[in-house]
Amino acid sequence: MNCEEATKLMDGYLDGELDPITNQAIEQHLRDCPNCDQAYKTHRSLIRAIGNATPYYNAPAELRERIQSSLREEIAERPIRDVARDTQPLFSRKRPEPRTLLLGTPWNWLAFAAAIIFAAIIALNLVPRWQRPEADQFLATQLIASHVRSLMANHLTDVASSDQHTVKPWLDTKVDFAPPVPDLSSEGFPLVGGRLDYLDGRPVVALIYQRRKHFINLFVWPAESNATGDTKAISRQGYQLLHWVDSDFNYWAASDVNANDLQTFKQQFEAQTSRH
Amino acid sequence: MALPLKAEHALESEGFESDPKIVKFVVVKKREEQDHPLKEELTSFEEALLPHLDAAHNLARWLLRNEQDAQDVVQEAYLRAFKSFGGFHGTNGRAWLLTIVRNTSYTLLKKNHAVDLTTTFDEEIHATGHESVSPATILEHSEDAELIRQAMDELPAEFREILALRHQEGLSYKEIADITQIPPGTVMSRLARARAKLRECLATRIGKEK
Repeated sequence: MNCEEATKLMDGYLDGELDPITNQAIEQHLRDCPNCDQAYKTHRSLIRAIGNATPYYNAPAELRERIQSSLREEIAERPIRDVARDTQPLFSRKRPEPRTLLLGTPWNWLAFAAAIIFAAIIALNLVPRWQRPEADQFLATQLIASHVRSLMANHLTDVASSDQHTVKPWLDTKVDFAPPVPDLSSEGFPLVGGRLDYLDGRPVVALIYQRRKHFINLFVWPAESNATGDTKAISRQGYQLLHWVDSDFNYWAASDVNANDLQTFKQQFEAQTSRH
Repeated sequence: MALPLKAEHALESEGFESDPKIVKFVVVKKREEQDHPLKEELTSFEEALLPHLDAAHNLARWLLRNEQDAQDVVQEAYLRAFKSFGGFHGTNGRAWLLTIVRNTSYTLLKKNHAVDLTTTFDEEIHATGHESVSPATILEHSEDAELIRQAMDELPAEFREILALRHQEGLSYKEIADITQIPPGTVMSRLARARAKLRECLATRIGKEK
């Protein structure tokens, strides 16, 4: 983690809202970098002091009474209205329209509007995750988790071989699609092996390439028909993610190499696969 | 709780003197039958949500920067909440109430054209004069509640609310995201910007005092 990333994450760290891996990374950085450590400590003591001294506006006692009596008026109104509808001709005494504070609109209209807003909120929450803007963020989290897990749990490969002619046939027996497995060792990205994984609600293939001491997990699964040719780069928690799509497949590369290396990897990968 | 209702019964019976007696009997009986379930609902509503009155008032007060408006909004928010209480099955009553308080506050802010929702902050003015003020100096002034209040009130609404929700209510990023209706990933960066601005405003004010 570099200073820029550490600064970005400082508030999340201060609030204890980072995931354990990022938390460890930032702690490591603060141990190594006296400047960031000093900045963090200053920020923390300032924010805590300011937070403690910010005036808190307790509700005055009469507000509680106002609310309680308005709620009682509210329930007193409801049955009267129902009865009035049943016995209209006999009921001549008019009740004042319920007043509102903001709009001068009768309450039932506000209630109607509130109902629409609530329905909209509920509907929005029911929309599947992938349709929402943070779908990428959600997938990014999964990808990074999978990448980290593969390095952590000593389960980097299901088939360990630098020979594309070993990896590819093995994969073909496991999944119902046949991703390209180019040999990129002459470009500085030797093949390490392949693995099966489960992402975004489906089985995917992970191809593992090496860049010096770093590993690149390349997640591959068939592209949907409406896929676009967009390339997307996401940097998160010190990991780089690079996404692209070709006519057949979705690719997500995850690694801790720098963004340029990952771009080079993508270019070499594409150059090799288009040749086939 | 029963008192105001009884008083109304008494009042109404005067008006019925000229009406046929049998109608009066039917009306009273209907009311008593129907009041009962609502009273129960009201009791459970008050038990669930009145404990969060201070939080509701504090948020509205920071958003509206005005005591009278804050009280009106909180009262209206409680009425709104009561009307949709039947549809509330969550466990986090405070977050639910604060969402309604926030929405009601913004309705009023918009109506008064007092909306500084997005950060239309005058960077020029606030960027000058604070460089000479060290963090240590700010720390010395950090117990000055009035100074902090003034600096907070200078911030845009989205910063005031996120600072109140985090620093004063101690809510999690997830709860803040739900209440302010922003993606969870945005909470940290907005909070960081809000804190940086608050530090800046404090520094500017301290710098001017010198």
